[in-house]
Amino acid sequence: MTERRHTSSHYEKELQEIKDGLIYLGALTEQAIEKAIRSLLERDSDLAKKVIESDCVIDNKDIELEDRCIRLLALRQPAARDLRFITTSIKIVGHLERIGDMAVNIAEKAIILNELPQLKPYIDLPRMAELTRAMIHESLDALIKGDIALAEEVRKKEETVDYLNDQIFRELLTFMLEDTRTIHRAVIIMQISKNLERIADHAKGVADMVIYMVTGKSVRHMPECGA
Amino acid sequence: MKSRLFLQIFGTYLFLILLTTLVVGLFVGQHMRGVLEDRIEEDLLTYARLIETGSSGGLKANLKTLAEISGSRITIIDAKGTVIADSEIVPPGTESHLNRPEIQEARVKGSGRSIRLSRTQNIDVMYAAIQSKTAIPGGYIRLSRPLNVIGESVRDLNQSLLVSILILGIVSILIAVIFAYRLAMPIKEMELFTEKLREGQAPGSLFIKGGGETQKLARNINYLVEELESRIRAANEEKGKVYAAFASMVEGVLVLDSRNHIETCNRAFSKMIGTRFGDIKNKTLMEAFRNIELQNAFDRFESTGEPLSREIHAGSTDPKILHVSISSIEGLPHEDRKTMLVFHDITMLKKLERMRADFVASVTHEIKTPLTAILGFIETLQEGAIEDRETARKFLEVIGRQAKRLNRLIDDLLVISNIELGEMKFYFEVLSLGEPLNTALSIMEIKAREKEIDISKDLPENLPLIRGDRDRLLQIFLNILDNAVKFNPRGGRIDIKAAERGGEVEVRISDSGPGIPQSEIPRLGERFYRVDKTRSRELGGTGLGLSIVKHLLIAQEGRMEIESRLGHGTTVILYFPMYKDISV
Repeated sequence: MTERRHTSSHYEKELQEIKDGLIYLGALTEQAIEKAIRSLLERDSDLAKKVIESDCVIDNKDIELEDRCIRLLALRQPAARDLRFITTSIKIVGHLERIGDMAVNIAEKAIILNELPQLKPYIDLPRMAELTRAMIHESLDALIKGDIALAEEVRKKEETVDYLNDQIFRELLTFMLEDTRTIHRAVIIMQISKNLERIADHAKGVADMVIYMVTGKSVRHMPECGA
Repeated sequence: MKSRLFLQIFGTYLFLILLTTLVVGLFVGQHMRGVLEDRIEEDLLTYARLIETGSSGGLKANLKTLAEISGSRITIIDAKGTVIADSEIVPPGTESHLNRPEIQEARVKGSGRSIRLSRTQNIDVMYAAIQSKTAIPGGYIRLSRPLNVIGESVRDLNQSLLVSILILGIVSILIAVIFAYRLAMPIKEMELFTEKLREGQAPGSLFIKGGGETQKLARNINYLVEELESRIRAANEEKGKVYAAFASMVEGVLVLDSRNHIETCNRAFSKMIGTRFGDIKNKTLMEAFRNIELQNAFDRFESTGEPLSREIHAGSTDPKILHVSISSIEGLPHEDRKTMLVFHDITMLKKLERMRADFVASVTHEIKTPLTAILGFIETLQEGAIEDRETARKFLEVIGRQAKRLNRLIDDLLVISNIELGEMKFYFEVLSLGEPLNTALSIMEIKAREKEIDISKDLPENLPLIRGDRDRLLQIFLNILDNAVKFNPRGGRIDIKAAERGGEVEVRISDSGPGIPQSEIPRLGERFYRVDKTRSRELGGTGLGLSIVKHLLIAQEGRMEIESRLGHGTTVILYFPMYKDISV
């Protein structure tokens, strides 16, 4: 009896470690995005370099977490809720790792932009970055609390980010039409905006996985391809 | 369940009593039957012998009378076994009686007996016979009597036995009840008492009548309860003390259980982090705070097991620098292991540290700038520029200006350090603010006129008196007016108003300058803090003016407020407490 309780409590601990690991990874990616955007706004290339360097921390954590998940699957053969939690964790880890990569992309673009004169004051870009960062934060909040309503909210925010991305595109288009010398910088800014938009997609993916984990219902590709 | 002990004791008693009476009854009945049978046999044989000796001639004739007297049936049998006469069956049958067991026994021993079922009466009958010598030579005299008399006697005996058993039973049951009750009751009482104790009620003390072991036990229980209660009280008191210390600590304390989930935190911690305990209870550190630095520190602690201290940054809206010490709580068994995290808020400390570092950097920078200029121009002069009188004069002017600036800077620094060290002497007197203000205005007038600045003042004649140092007040007004003139554009205006308000004298000095962004206002008064760094230095400011004002005001119990909007000028408001003449 004691032996059994001991093993099951050990199992609980392993599950908790995965959960904590996900939050840790989420916090790392949040930080990466925040720093990448700050390196752009404050024209701080050193900060951008730090973001690029620290991506390997995210990558290592990604590998470690995936490993833990797979080992738990193999050794404990979890069922029902636990199985859903572990499989979704694997997917969430994937999403978060991609977000980290995109933060690196943004930092790389920031380094290039910092070498050039500023095209215009950034207004929508920081808003977009803040929104995407909040999306990651809230999707992980939803994971901790098992809060589906919060996950749904995250899913809605993705539309706002899309809208901001379109707006930035239109604005930059007018710049480029007026003055061809701005094209280089405008294209880079567009890439940054696109990266943020992709990050938001991944954050939405995390929220989707949370909904699946809690309810067992898949909301991916909805409403686009949903019945 | 109701007093099982009582039932057990009583049941045992009952069983024993019943068993004894049953055994005794059976045994006595059996024994009595044997005794009675022997007696009847004796009787019958005696009668037979009497008949044999007493009746020689008229045996047959007297047979009926004899049978009546002896209360038995008499049969006379001859040597061949033929019944000669019988007291009951007349005429007697011809069947030979020689094979009857009592006759056979009598032929051998002289007398015999036999008990068998009578064919005619269907009851046990005892037959006793003797061999006759005189009455009927070679014949037999047999007497028989039905045995149902014995059965009746035994039944009678059994009946009286049953009655006595009943009486005995009732009496012994009563005794058993009383005894069992007396034994079981104190135990039951103790059971109830301990039950109450277990439920956490204060049961008072246990009182058991009688003596012996039960009372000793009760006394011991009472003693134990007393001991237990005093220990619990002591533990509660100790707990209360520890909790009070824990709750009122300035440091934030967080305790994790053996699974590293948050078990408790104190009020200081909730305040420091801005969270309620309910929101973080039973969560892991990562779930509750999502702070990478804290998690890293905790992971390090987990892997080494050594207590450690770290600085961490927390809070996004209200950033804080916290110093956290992690250690495990000593003296707990391994499976109950707890971890304690103690947080100090060192945000202010860090800020002060930075300010001091900034101050040193600023001072060196401020001194370095004019010195570089002076050295540069001297070098140029040395390299030949001194030959060109016109250029040399210009250079010397610059050198003079920079040296003056350096002098001013050092003067200001001295003033500040004197105030801060408390070495500045104040000569307090009671005066009206109008005097130093007017003096300052007359000094600043020339400068203002140069920039075509219009100064308007509204000073009531009967301005309340205050207590202050005339020279220091003059310095305060000079510094503020100097700023107002400096940052006003050409042709701007300065308004000065003084009035009494709520026990204080209020002086408002407004300019029409560029104004100060709202976010910068709290930092005015910091040493070397400038809103517009380059412009201020061009205008010859040291960056210490408002800082000096602030310190001088504090020394004279006054205070300063600044109102400003970008593009709408700045108003400096000074408050001085009114002088209260105690002697009048």
